[in-house]
Order: sequence, then structure tokens, then C-alpha cells
Amino acid sequence: MNCAEASCYQIQVRKLRRAFGKTEAVRGIDLDICAGEIFAFLGPNGAGKTTSINMLTGLLRPDDGLILYQGQPFLSSNHAVRRRIGVVPQHNNLDRELTAAENLLIHGRLFNMGGPNLQTRITSCLELAGLSDKRNTPVNHLSGGMKRKLVIARALLHEPAILFLDEPTAGLDPHSRRKIWAFLRRINQDQGCTLFLTTHYIEEAEQLAGRVAFIDQGQVIARGTPTELMEKTGHFVLDIYQRDDMINEFFTDRSAALARLKQLDTSVRIREITLEDVFLQLTGKRIDP
Amino acid sequence: MLHGASAIYLREILILRRKLVKTLLASAVSPALFLLAFGFGVGRAATVDGQGYLSFLLPGLLTMASMNQSYAIATEINISRFYFKVFEEYLIAPFGRWQIVLGEMAYGITRGLLPVGIIAFYSVLCGVKLHFGGGFALALLLHLAIFSLLGVLAAMIVRSHADQATVNAFLITPMMFLSGTFFPTEQMPWAIKAVASLFPLTYSTRLIRSTLLNSQETALWLYPLLAAMVALLFWLCCWVVARVEA
Repeated sequence: MNCAEASCYQIQVRKLRRAFGKTEAVRGIDLDICAGEIFAFLGPNGAGKTTSINMLTGLLRPDDGLILYQGQPFLSSNHAVRRRIGVVPQHNNLDRELTAAENLLIHGRLFNMGGPNLQTRITSCLELAGLSDKRNTPVNHLSGGMKRKLVIARALLHEPAILFLDEPTAGLDPHSRRKIWAFLRRINQDQGCTLFLTTHYIEEAEQLAGRVAFIDQGQVIARGTPTELMEKTGHFVLDIYQRDDMINEFFTDRSAALARLKQLDTSVRIREITLEDVFLQLTGKRIDP
Repeated sequence: MLHGASAIYLREILILRRKLVKTLLASAVSPALFLLAFGFGVGRAATVDGQGYLSFLLPGLLTMASMNQSYAIATEINISRFYFKVFEEYLIAPFGRWQIVLGEMAYGITRGLLPVGIIAFYSVLCGVKLHFGGGFALALLLHLAIFSLLGVLAAMIVRSHADQATVNAFLITPMMFLSGTFFPTEQMPWAIKAVASLFPLTYSTRLIRSTLLNSQETALWLYPLLAAMVALLFWLCCWVVARVEA
């Protein structure tokens, strides 16, 4: 997908690079993120997702490359651009000794908010996250899912135009994960906030993202809508179980898949294609082994 | 303009408020033990420059205890940086990173003030008269600023909690004992004197002691010296913090 006009690009990234010693974590990635979309950066652990997001949010300095926010270069001294960004890191970096409201208060003050406006925003963000009744509860006493929602609510407090989420549901149980997904959809739809998320959960990208980029070994290897990416590979998959292994064959229509299935005398399963299959086809390995 | 520094200070104070009793008790115990061991143990009958040893020791205990409290922010920053990652909130926020240094320094100074009342109370119990005047307040402020900034610097340079303990073992503990806090440096071997002359605590202890004892021989040149140390350390901290990554 391309934005209709250049001015609607929320982020443009060109040839972004970062190495740690001799290890090249990110090797020249290009990205274009449009305003209001949900974009997922999908790849296995160690692919370069967190390094990329850290460079996009100012937590790491790129070795090379260009980051533009609505056409403006992203520099550490550009506080106006920083104010437009909300960050949900991989870990719940909350002050455990402080209450939910105090955590939001400190964040608001860090972003130069104050007075009645800050109090109103704290109340509405806690409400949005469904944590109004936990306002004065120390973070230590919140569940994992609640802490995650609080971190997201905190990132939204200063009303950012774009929200970065690094593995937003990692470590959560399936029920909490679905609640977070619904929460994120609401943020995107009701507040028009652009979401940039990294994940290694296929289902998360399929459920949430309008567009996806696969990253592997520090490089973007494919991008597009989930449907586009899957259609390039096929619509149906045969999982063919062999003695110690399983191989996949891809088909554009069901009848071709069924015809092939009849030829096989081993254990076979027919199913619809997923993004995991696309990644497997491109790299020869699974995202979440 | 100082929203970053004030937010960081507020955060630290909110946390300190929750552990104030524990922190106060910790500030009280260590000087009390040193007072018992040195003041009433080995130094009961001793005199220094014609004054009772307790008059010499109590200002030293004040500088030591307040230094420990100010420098203790290093451990807190270290934990927030490497374990809880709260420090990342400061790094992404829209303000110059020098405000991180300013906010943490202000907090370190606040923490360093906690033992002052305790030592004042001990001095009353010991019958030693200390003079808490303007000269002392200025000297204490500079002393606390130096050790808060050293705390920030150490927390930024080390890469783990274990490294932090190493810095404490090789720098803070020797400084505590060799800077004229418990014994006059003049009576120490020349090699120890040379080492002591490198420690900022040597100079702040000397100045604070002379103001607290209302000495006629207060070395006024120590004020600009300590102020220069504060300026140098502040600049160094800003330089290091500007280069910190997550």
C-alpha cells in the first residue's frame, strides 16, 4: 500500500543500519508507514525487530540511514517529533512501588503536561484501559494483563500520533492477549492513532495488521497486506507428514490441492494458508519454532 | 522548561516517601556504630588539634553518612536502568538529557540531607556543640551535589549491578576511610595522604568540619574548589548521559 499523498506518511525509513560489534542487527531497512494504519513487523526472535523499534523511538542511535516523521528528520534534539511518539516496550517498565495513577502522573510530567488537563487525561486513559478501579492500586498488585494495559494507557497519555508496541502480548495468556488486541483496535479506530507493532505471533499480525513486513536477519524480506502476502504463495496448503519431518505444498485452488492429496499415501492435512507458511516459504524456517 | 528534571525529582520523591522510615533508620545505624566504635571505643581519650575526638569525629560522620545517602542513588538508577527499565521513559521523553542529570542530582541532594538531623541529634547526646550556619549549608550543598553527580556518573558508566558493587569497593569505601572522616589525614603515611588528596571527600570533609566547629581557620578557597568539582562533574554526567542507549 502507498499513501495517496507524500504528506500522509507518518514514518519513512531509508537504509537504516545498526551493528553491535561485528554483529549487524539491522541491515539497511526501508519502511513507509501511513497515518492511521496498523503495521506489523513480523519476524523470529533476534531478527532485528527490537533494534529497529529502538532506533525509531530514539533509544538507540542508527549507524546509518534516515528516519523521517511526517517529513521531519528524527533527531534527539527534535522534541516536537518526540512528543508525537508513544512507546510500549517489550517489558512492563512501570514503577512497581507507585500506584497506577502515579505512574501516569510521572509520564505526563515528563511530557510537560500538568494541571487539570493532566488529571483529566489520567482519568480517561485509566478508563480506556478498564483500570479506573485500580487507580490507587500499587502496580505490584496488578495482574500481568493489567500491567500491560497500564503501559499502553501510559504511552497514550500525551496523545501521540503514533504508538510503537514491541511484542505487545508476549508472555500473556490467550484470554488476556485477545483483550489487548481489542484494546489496540479501539485505540486505532477511535483515536486514529497509527500503530507500529513488532511481534513473533503470526495470529497477532493476522488479527491486527493492515500491512505486514517480514524481517529476518536484519533485513525486510517481504511486505504487503496479509492477503497479498498469502495470495503470492497460494490459498491452500498440504501438510505432508513424513517419517521424521513434515513438508508443505502450496496450491492456488482447493481442487488442485485435493487432487494432489489423492495421489499421496502418507498422512496428509489440507488447510488454508497462514502468514507462517509465507515466512516458511521465504526463509525455510518458522517464525516461532 | 525544567519539566523533565522536576518530573524525575517527583518520581524519586514519591518512591522515597514510601521507604522513608527504612531509609532514615539505615542512615542512623551506620553513624551510630562508628560513633560507638571510634568515638567511645578507641578514641575516648584522644584529642585532635586540641579538641576532643568526638568533636572531630561527628562532622566526619555527617559527611560520610550524607555522602553514602547521596551516592546511593547510583544503585537506584542502576536498578531502574538495567532491571526495571524505567530509565527508558526518561530517554524517550521530549527534553534535553541534561535534565535527567539535574533531576537525579536534586534527588541525591535531598537524600543526603536525611542524615544531617540524625547527626545533629547524636551531637546533642554526646554534648558536642555543632554550628549549623550559612557557611555549613553552602558547603553541605556542594558536598551533596558532588556525590550525587558521582552516583549518576557511576550508574551511567557501569554495565551491571555487579560492576556497581566493584566501584563501591574500590572507590567509595576507601574514600570513606581515607579522607579525614575518622582520622586526621595529616597523621597518615605520605602514600595514603597522596591518595586522599585525590578524593573530593577530603576537601568537603575539611570544609564542613571547619564550618560545623566554627573554626577561625576555615579555608575559604575550598568553596570555589568544590564548586568547580560540581561544574566539572555536571558537565561530565551530561556528556555521558547524552550517549546512553537503551
